[in-house]
Amino acid sequence: MTLTTTTYADEIAPCPPRAGTLYDVLELILDRGMVIDVFIRVSLVGIEILKIDARIVVASVDTYLRFAEACNRLDLERDSRSTTVPELFGGRAAKSMGKRKVRKAADSLGETVRKAVGGGDEHDESEERGERPRKRRAPARDGAGRRRRVEA
Amino acid sequence: MAAANGVYVYAILPTGEALPSEATGVGSPPATLRLVEQGPVTAVVSDAPPQLRARRRDLMAHQELLLRLTDRGPVLPMRFGMVAPDEDTVRTQLAGASADHLATLRHVARRVEINLKALPAQNALAAVVAEEKNVRRLREEVRRRPGYEASVRLGEAVAGALSRRASEAGKKLLHSLTPMARAVATGPEVHGCALNVSFLVDRDDSDDFRAVAERFAAAHRTHVELRVAGPLPCYSFVSHRSAAGV
Repeated sequence: MTLTTTTYADEIAPCPPRAGTLYDVLELILDRGMVIDVFIRVSLVGIEILKIDARIVVASVDTYLRFAEACNRLDLERDSRSTTVPELFGGRAAKSMGKRKVRKAADSLGETVRKAVGGGDEHDESEERGERPRKRRAPARDGAGRRRRVEA
Repeated sequence: MAAANGVYVYAILPTGEALPSEATGVGSPPATLRLVEQGPVTAVVSDAPPQLRARRRDLMAHQELLLRLTDRGPVLPMRFGMVAPDEDTVRTQLAGASADHLATLRHVARRVEINLKALPAQNALAAVVAEEKNVRRLREEVRRRPGYEASVRLGEAVAGALSRRASEAGKKLLHSLTPMARAVATGPEVHGCALNVSFLVDRDDSDDFRAVAERFAAAHRTHVELRVAGPLPCYSFVSHRSAAGV
């Protein structure tokens, strides 16, 4: 445990080397393995949250628009006549949304897929929510967040 | 031994196996492990921590212990979070179901689980545009007549193509890997995964198995991103439910 903190140190253990692959086996640990009826299963509350957080919906209009933007990005690289990108935002076009967003969209194509399977950050994020009861106050979150970054 | 919160059960082993040195259990500080022996089978348990939930820390502890046990001999991994009221309940269960447990232990002996997930390929957009007629057509439409609706249609086609391509490649891979496995089990549905499947593989074959999967992944990178996990405890190849011994 890197003791750069504080009062929440006992709540988050340092990540063992295999931590990065937890998502890959998460559903096996939670949904497979032997179940014995006379034993009690722990409360699933935290588990559900963790699972839902790990599964960001890929099939959403937002994702579609990003894919479409990224398609256009491909065009832009090959064909300078293409000027359609701003229209993708439904005419809100604004120059301020222009290039930066396009680049972001292209970058986020891979990111979208990665997010859907949970990148490294998602784990911490989801655990954070899973572990912390609603009553947790904002300052505590901030504190824990800072500390986690320090550890990473 | 008094256990106010019950007894957390990690695994069932053939009697005679010792615990790995310095292995610990769930909770903070990590719980001390002990063995509950009942005839030919033995359960690995600890006191259950108060307010046990699916924390990352505890999931990792569960997984780490099972990995270590799996390295040493046959193991029936319990699903995360199985808690018995007390040790007597564990003993009663073991006594009543020992024949089943032994049979399953023989089934997984010297074998490991390898899990494979097929996901839509990242950064394969250029290939999708080049190879998917429908996407090309919709892209042309967007270029001719840009707009929200056209973009949604294009994006939807891209998303559909990405996942179809992953799914097709996943099926092909499943077909070529199945003969190398002792058993195959479809995993729980994972959103965004075109395929989630586990293979029961002889431990001695697991490197070869992984190598084949990785070669396939390299050859199909514009269709699918493969994630191979293992060797793992045989989560998917122990009976899901054992009500015997009550």
